[in-house]
Amino acid sequence: MAETSNPGGSPGTWALEARGLGKRYRRGWALRDCSFRLPAGRICGLVGPNGAGKSTLLGLVSRQVAATRGDLRVFGVPVGDPEVMPRFAFLGQDKPMYKRFSVAETLRIGCELNPGWDAAAAERIVRSGDVPMNAAVGTLSGGQRTRVALALAFGKRPDLLLLDEPMADLDPLARDEMSTLLMAEAVERGTTVVMSSHILAELEDMCDYLLVVADGRIRMAGDADALVPAHALVTGLAEEGDLPAALARHTVIEKRVQGRQFRAMVRTDGPLSGDWQVAVPSLEEVLLAHLRSQDAPPLYTPGAQIETEGTRTA
Amino acid sequence: MSTTLTADPAARTARPRLLRGLTWLVLRQHRTTLCCVLALTVLGSLWIVYQRAQLIDVLDAAGWPGKPAPVPVVGEAYGSLTSLLTLLPGVLAVFLGAPLIAADQEQGTAQLVTTQSVTRRRWVVAKLGWCLLITLVACSVLSAVFTWWWHPYRSVLGDNWMDTAVFDVTGPVLPALALFLTAAGFTIGILVRRVLASMVLTLGFTVVAQTAWDMFRDRLGSPRTIRYPLDGSMPARLDDAYEVDRWVGSADGQLYGWGSCAEATEKATNACIEEKGIVDNVFQYLDYDQMSAMQWTGAGILLAGTAALTAFALWWTSRRPL
Repeated sequence: MAETSNPGGSPGTWALEARGLGKRYRRGWALRDCSFRLPAGRICGLVGPNGAGKSTLLGLVSRQVAATRGDLRVFGVPVGDPEVMPRFAFLGQDKPMYKRFSVAETLRIGCELNPGWDAAAAERIVRSGDVPMNAAVGTLSGGQRTRVALALAFGKRPDLLLLDEPMADLDPLARDEMSTLLMAEAVERGTTVVMSSHILAELEDMCDYLLVVADGRIRMAGDADALVPAHALVTGLAEEGDLPAALARHTVIEKRVQGRQFRAMVRTDGPLSGDWQVAVPSLEEVLLAHLRSQDAPPLYTPGAQIETEGTRTA
Repeated sequence: MSTTLTADPAARTARPRLLRGLTWLVLRQHRTTLCCVLALTVLGSLWIVYQRAQLIDVLDAAGWPGKPAPVPVVGEAYGSLTSLLTLLPGVLAVFLGAPLIAADQEQGTAQLVTTQSVTRRRWVVAKLGWCLLITLVACSVLSAVFTWWWHPYRSVLGDNWMDTAVFDVTGPVLPALALFLTAAGFTIGILVRRVLASMVLTLGFTVVAQTAWDMFRDRLGSPRTIRYPLDGSMPARLDDAYEVDRWVGSADGQLYGWGSCAEATEKATNACIEEKGIVDNVFQYLDYDQMSAMQWTGAGILLAGTAALTAFALWWTSRRPL
């Protein structure tokens, strides 16, 4: 299973392995043919437009959604096995908590329901935000609530932390505070983090791994550092209103022809030889190109790929 | 009041925790409900005890059972009490059963709990167990206290033992009915996933179920039949029997409808009686000594229903995420 290299992580440990994972609701497939793996210890950004299947994927990992088909393993354990439960912590989009519980009682939930509860860590996170321990959760501000929810998540001492749009309802100050806290705690413990957002900029600085989904399919998976260099932004003269034939050996993600000029985002396969201007795209540009062109083959960096039918190696 | 105020902070700071795990969580979440139900049980019981004492005073003053009891022997409070006891299972079903899991689904706290380290099934078992236990305790206590009052004084209290106000609120029926309706409430809640909608549906179900229960209650026992002469009066021991049906019958056992010889004139009636050879009143009834067996049979059916609903709720919640 772990025969492929695992760059950056300790060998053989995968926080997540998905094979042909799919979830169909009555309306249709929310996620389909999803195969990837995520090495342990990485901070993974789960990016995609609204309704792309991010929450479904996080729901599948946190056992709140049952897969229609496919197989998902968390640290090598099938997600259906209750043994998985102490290993992950989940922080939902709307951070549900008992509104009438005090902050202390909310932390006690974590204490009562988790075997390896770290009360000191949870209390430290709450206190460092000056959140009063005896205040009812319903009276807290959005930032304070997020802090309590994060304390509950970190108090569980998870190996895998799942965050669904964690920053969505926070003001910039609270957002900055939260991301600092998150990074500090995650790095200290070596926690694998998967956090979703539809705004790449929110995640770009924090993540060293990216999982891009659109229309319920994986568009890109792999090291953030390796995804960009695999692409080039090529500008040059069009040939008969189309891309030059010489470019055909590379994978064209997106092309635009304007008059005699063409501009294309290509995934390079060997050196680019031609009378073209080649620029290094930004991560944002690569991402948008992939999100706009649904027909382009998905990109996996080595290690992120699981050999199954229906996927192609980058 | 003052005792709860002083006890609360002490309980909060007490380090060696009495309650642990899911038990603590479920009790903490439903603290208000628990207090309300317990208060209802205690106050209801005290009210029954008080009314019983009042009745005994009235009866002693009148010299009962030597002399006839005064009429009316109980005030309107007796009627209110039995109505409240009759309503109790429905109230518990709507306000305790229906929102039990549905509120957690609606507010997302089901997600909070089931992403900790306990499985969904364990959490649901704790919730349903708590709900059924509190229902059982509250209704058993009230039923026992009410039965303790009603049983020795039933002859003066007016209602027939087959009336809803007696049969459904004494012995094992009150707790069984409450358990069944509450189980229906949480099952509806789990399926509907919305608090208000599940409460409305549960109310509807309660009305339908209690109406059906009223209609089929007399099938719980097998009726007995007695014949007595047409001009005679009913034997006195059947005073507290429940009438199922009555006919008139001829000497050879032929039965005719109760009014089959109700003619306009006495002469015509007598002629009809003569012609058909009617000699007996035939009375079909459920005797008071059948009450206990009928109550336990009914309770058994309701408890089987409770078990089926609870098993379904558990299967449904452990099969799929909430």
